[in-house]
Amino acid sequence: MTAEMRDEGTRVSLTRGDVRRAFWLWTFFSHANYNYERLQGTAFAHAMTPIIRKLYKSPEEVKAALKRHLVFFNTEPNVGGVIHGAVIAMEEQRANGAPIDDDDINAVKSGLMGPLAGVGDSISQGTITPILLSIGIGIAAAGQPFGAILYFVLEVGIMVALAYFFWFQGYDRGREGVTAMLKSGLLDRVLTGAGVLGNMVMGALTFQFVNIYLTLSWNIDVGGGQTNLFDVNRDLLGAIMPGLLPLAFTLLTWYLIARRRVSPIWLLVAYVVIAMLAALPLLGPAGSPCSSILNPFFQPDAGCPPPPPA
Amino acid sequence: MKHTQYPGRATKVAALVSVAVLGALMFASPVLAQETPAVTAGLLQAALVGLGYYLSNSPWILGIGGFFGLYRPLVAGLIVGLIFGDPVKGAQIGAAINLLYIGFISAGGSIPADPSVAGWVGTALALAGGLDAATAITLGVAVGLLGTLVFFTRMSVDAVFAHRADAAAENGDIGGVARANWLWPQIFLFLISFFPATIAVYAGAPVVQGAITTLQTDWPWVLRGFQIAGGLLPAIGIALNMRFIFRGSAIPFYFVGYVFAMLIGGRFFPGVTAPAIGTIVVTTAIVGAAAAWIFVSLRSERASGAREA
Repeated sequence: MTAEMRDEGTRVSLTRGDVRRAFWLWTFFSHANYNYERLQGTAFAHAMTPIIRKLYKSPEEVKAALKRHLVFFNTEPNVGGVIHGAVIAMEEQRANGAPIDDDDINAVKSGLMGPLAGVGDSISQGTITPILLSIGIGIAAAGQPFGAILYFVLEVGIMVALAYFFWFQGYDRGREGVTAMLKSGLLDRVLTGAGVLGNMVMGALTFQFVNIYLTLSWNIDVGGGQTNLFDVNRDLLGAIMPGLLPLAFTLLTWYLIARRRVSPIWLLVAYVVIAMLAALPLLGPAGSPCSSILNPFFQPDAGCPPPPPA
Repeated sequence: MKHTQYPGRATKVAALVSVAVLGALMFASPVLAQETPAVTAGLLQAALVGLGYYLSNSPWILGIGGFFGLYRPLVAGLIVGLIFGDPVKGAQIGAAINLLYIGFISAGGSIPADPSVAGWVGTALALAGGLDAATAITLGVAVGLLGTLVFFTRMSVDAVFAHRADAAAENGDIGGVARANWLWPQIFLFLISFFPATIAVYAGAPVVQGAITTLQTDWPWVLRGFQIAGGLLPAIGIALNMRFIFRGSAIPFYFVGYVFAMLIGGRFFPGVTAPAIGTIVVTTAIVGAAAAWIFVSLRSERASGAREA
């Protein structure tokens, strides 16, 4: 029996339970076989197995459906679930005789996976995760291990809820609904909003976690046997804008990575080397951490004189 | 996430350097190890850390609880602390290592470093070596670079299982396709993650203990270098995240966020005590959400106004 011949009496329809089973398969196993050739390709097919079992009975249909979903696929796994939802709805219509072919399904998958990866990564990895991490880190660093648990519970709870919501949005709205949603500019608005929020959070993180000091200072003879301490950090940079150095340093790093295409791994190695050079005791007695040639550029050690407040 | 990045020369060189340094430390350990270790890593403890590292890359904790949970050094640090009987110190070290990866983003099958191995193995070695949180950061980086080897091996080899899935699909074998996704790749992943991590902790702990003792007495500036690096390296994680969002009309908000955090962080007002780390970021996030709302509404208002005109 082919799909076209089905009438109302032989209609196959999916239950919420089937769609939910596919959701959990995806949520668990979306990256179980992540690889360079297909990325999440096999995971997509895996998530579709309960749907295929329910909708297609003939071996030929099953084979075609499995092969259809084993192709290259890659998106953000939580927000991107809207694609799976829409594809499940399309498979259901197709099994009941609607004129939907492989190309239609592939078009939805490959057309949506890029934009949703952009939006999804901005929301999940770009905004929610750094915010929750900085809450957890703040609590844990103060000696309360509870911070780690709080992060885990909030993060996993929010992500699962987000993924579940988008999955069923996709299924309930179907291909037309999802396409209409994308055309309405909603995606663009969310992306813009997430960009604004994400940039503000990154700005706060830069302030909080990037640390460079410039503690150069000279004694300037002002005459009359008196000297004046001129401190670069306090009297020059502090007078322009306190905290200018970490900001400039982070922007330089961004420029090197994003514009000059420097590998972050090279930078990682380079920064550790710079830090080591900064601590190298070339001036003064060996073993004294304050005697480093680059010491003035970096945050003070417990044993060294502290930088004056900026 | 469309562009797949293969490991570049930098990754290979970095991995080689890490292997060489750790190898040299291991050969030098009889010379370096002068005192008996304070915390010993038994085989069982090392294996538990190895298991945790495997789980953080596996699908078993709700999928999301892996990559978004155990994969983060903050969470790993707490659990490693529990394994070694000092959850407070463990979570503190994990939190410090996590600073590096605060803006960590993995997209298109590439990772700049492996936060997970830095969290699991790095915290274990730091606890064993009696390191403070700031010094542990650089140790985490070194171990984290090594972890990218596991990731790239996995990403390359797992393609084999995709072909196995193809073969199963050809036979209409639904269960076979499912197993090609969840079973075989996980056995492989277990082999390449559990054993190296376990061995690294078991064999590495005495080495790190010895090395740290020697550094403390003879080369204290190296440890200070570690601390300085702890202030520089978070810039890389943040810059990696900015690569995706620091563009277009959203750019000014990065500076707004920085200055806002600085204002409430008390750097402009010397008398004001700085609030907790989380407070600054959360407050900025709330203001950021409001700014995003206003910005988006203004833009769509202007767009609809332009259409009417």
